Amino acid sequence: MSEIAVPIATPRPGGNRRALRLLRRQPLGVVAGVVVVLLVVAAALAPVIAPFDPTAQHRADFLQIPGGPFLMGTDDLGRDIFSRVLYGARTSLLVAVCTLAVGGVLGVAIGVVSGYFAGGWVDTLLQRVMDTLMAIPGIVLLLFVAALLGPSIRNTVIALSLLVVPSFNRVARGEMLRIREELYVESARAAGCSTWRILRRHGLPNLLAPILVVTSLMFAIVIIAESALSFLGIGTPPPTPSWGAMLSDGSRYMEIAPWMVVFPGGALTVAVLAFNLLGDALRDVFDPKQSR
Amino acid sequence: MVEYVVRRGLYGVLVVALVTVFVFLTLRLIPGDVVRLQLADAPGVSPEQIAQRAAQLGLDQPLLAQLWRFLANAATGDFGTSFQSGEPVTALIAERLPTTLQLGVMALAVSVVLGVPLGLLSAVRQNSWLDQGLRVVSVAGLSIPNFWLGLLLVTYLALWFSWSPPLVYRTPAEDLGSNLVHMALPAIALGVAGMAAIARMLRSSMLEVLRSPFIRTVRPGAPERTVLVTHAVRNSLVPVFSLIGLQVGHILGGTVILESIFAIPGMGMLIFESVQLRDYPVVLGCVVVYGAVFILVNLVVDVLYGVIDPRIRYA
Repeated sequence: MSEIAVPIATPRPGGNRRALRLLRRQPLGVVAGVVVVLLVVAAALAPVIAPFDPTAQHRADFLQIPGGPFLMGTDDLGRDIFSRVLYGARTSLLVAVCTLAVGGVLGVAIGVVSGYFAGGWVDTLLQRVMDTLMAIPGIVLLLFVAALLGPSIRNTVIALSLLVVPSFNRVARGEMLRIREELYVESARAAGCSTWRILRRHGLPNLLAPILVVTSLMFAIVIIAESALSFLGIGTPPPTPSWGAMLSDGSRYMEIAPWMVVFPGGALTVAVLAFNLLGDALRDVFDPKQSR
Repeated sequence: MVEYVVRRGLYGVLVVALVTVFVFLTLRLIPGDVVRLQLADAPGVSPEQIAQRAAQLGLDQPLLAQLWRFLANAATGDFGTSFQSGEPVTALIAERLPTTLQLGVMALAVSVVLGVPLGLLSAVRQNSWLDQGLRVVSVAGLSIPNFWLGLLLVTYLALWFSWSPPLVYRTPAEDLGSNLVHMALPAIALGVAGMAAIARMLRSSMLEVLRSPFIRTVRPGAPERTVLVTHAVRNSLVPVFSLIGLQVGHILGGTVILESIFAIPGMGMLIFESVQLRDYPVVLGCVVVYGAVFILVNLVVDVLYGVIDPRIRYA
C-alpha cells in the first residue's frame, strides 16, 4: 500500500470503480454492510415500524408465544418483544456511536501525538496510561467505572470510551510511527511546516483507512459491552429498552418463555456479526497484504 | 534472556502499581461519600459520628498520604479490610480467586482443544465446503456474546434434555464431579470465542507456512503426514500461542458475567457485589488482582514465545 505513492493533487480516475470491484470480491462484506444499513434504518424508523409502544404493558397478554399481533411474543409484563428489539437497536447504536465519537477521537488524538513524538516524555507518559487501561480486563473496567458513576446512558458512554481508547491509540500510534518516516513528512518538515500542520495534513488523512477498520470492529465490541453492562443492571436504566436488559429479564423465564431470550440475543448477535464481517472486509479492501 | 525476564517483570510491577493508582484515584474522585453512604441507613447520625468514622477509615488524611499508605500496604499484600464484613480483603480474594482461575483455565482448555483441530482442518482442506463451513462457524463464534450463549445452553439443555446444572455450587474438594459439571457450561460459553479466534489465526498461519519455501523443499521427499505434523503444524502454532495472552483478558472479563449467571462464587461475583455495595477496599483489591493476573499471564506467554521460537531475540 505504501509503495504506491499517489501524489495528493493528482485526480484518481476510476477510484470508485476500483472500490466497487474490490467490494464485489467481498460478498460477505457487502451482505454485512447491507445488514448494518438495515440495522440503522430499523433503529431510526423504530417509532414508525414498531407495532406497539415498547413500554406499553398489555397485562392480559403477558408471556404470549410469538405469532399473531405479537411477532416475537410478549415478555412477563406483556410488552411486545418485537417493538422492544427495534427500540433496543436504537439504544445500542446510539451508545455505540457516542462511544466511538468520544473514545475514537480521544484515542486517535493520543495515538497521533504519541506516535509523532515517539520516544519523548509525552509519548512515554501517554503510553503508560494506555498500558494501565489495557491491563484491566474489559468487563472489570466497565463494571468498576459504570457502577460507581451510576446507571445512565451518559455514564455507560464514559465507561465504554475508556475501553476503546487504547485500541484506537494503538492503531493510530503504529501508523503514525510509519508515516513519520515517510519522505513527504520529511520534506514538509524541511519546508518549515508546523508540527500541527504536519499532523493535520499528512498524519490524519493517511490514518483514515486503518481507523475505519478499527471503528467497525470496535462497533461490535461496544455493542456487546453495552449489552453486558445492561445485563448486569448497571448499563442502560429501565424502562429504556436495551437488548442486555431484555436478556436479563428473560433469564428469569427461560424455561417457560425462551423467546424472551432468543430474540434480543439473536438481534445482538446479528448486529455484532455484521460489524465484525464489515470490519474484516474493509481490512481486506484497504490492506490486501493482510488478507487471509 | 534472564535480563529480559527481569526487565519485563519490573515493568509488569510498574503497570500493576499504575493500575492501583488509577483505581484508587478514580474511587476517590467519584461522587458519593463512602461514610455517608455507609451511615445513610442509620437514623440520626451526627456530624461528629461521620467525622469519627472517616478518621477510623483514614479518609480524613490528605489524598496523597492515603495513596502512599495504600500502596505501601498493598506491596505487602495488605489491601485493608472490607467496609461491609470487616474481613481482610486479601482473605476474601484468596478465597474466591481459585474458583475464577479454575473457570478461566477450563475456558482456555475449551478454546485450545476445539480451536486447534478446527483451524488445522480448515487449512488442510482449504476452500472445501468444510473449510467454508468452519470459517462461518469461526466468525459466528467470535460474534456470539458469551452470556447469551450461556443462557441458551442452560435453556435448551433443560427444554430438550430435561437436564440442568446443579443448583448449589460445590468446591472441587467437596464434590469434584458436581463442581466440574457446574463449571462445564460457563467454561464452554466462555471458551467459544477463544476457539473461534484460535481457529482463524491457525488457519491463516498454517496456510502461510504451507506456502513457504521450506515446505516446498520437504514435500517431494517426505510423506504428507510428516510434512504436515512435523514441519507445518509446529511452525504455525507459534503465532497462535501469542493469541493466548490476549484471550486470557477476554476470559477474565467474561468470568464476571458468567459467574453471576451460573451462581459461581468466584472473584467476578465478589467484585460485582462489592461494586454495588460501594465496598471500595474490596473493589480496589479485585481490580488490582485482575490486572496482576492478566499481566503475569502475558509475561509468561511472551517469555515462552521465545522458548518455542528461538528466532525471536530478546531485544
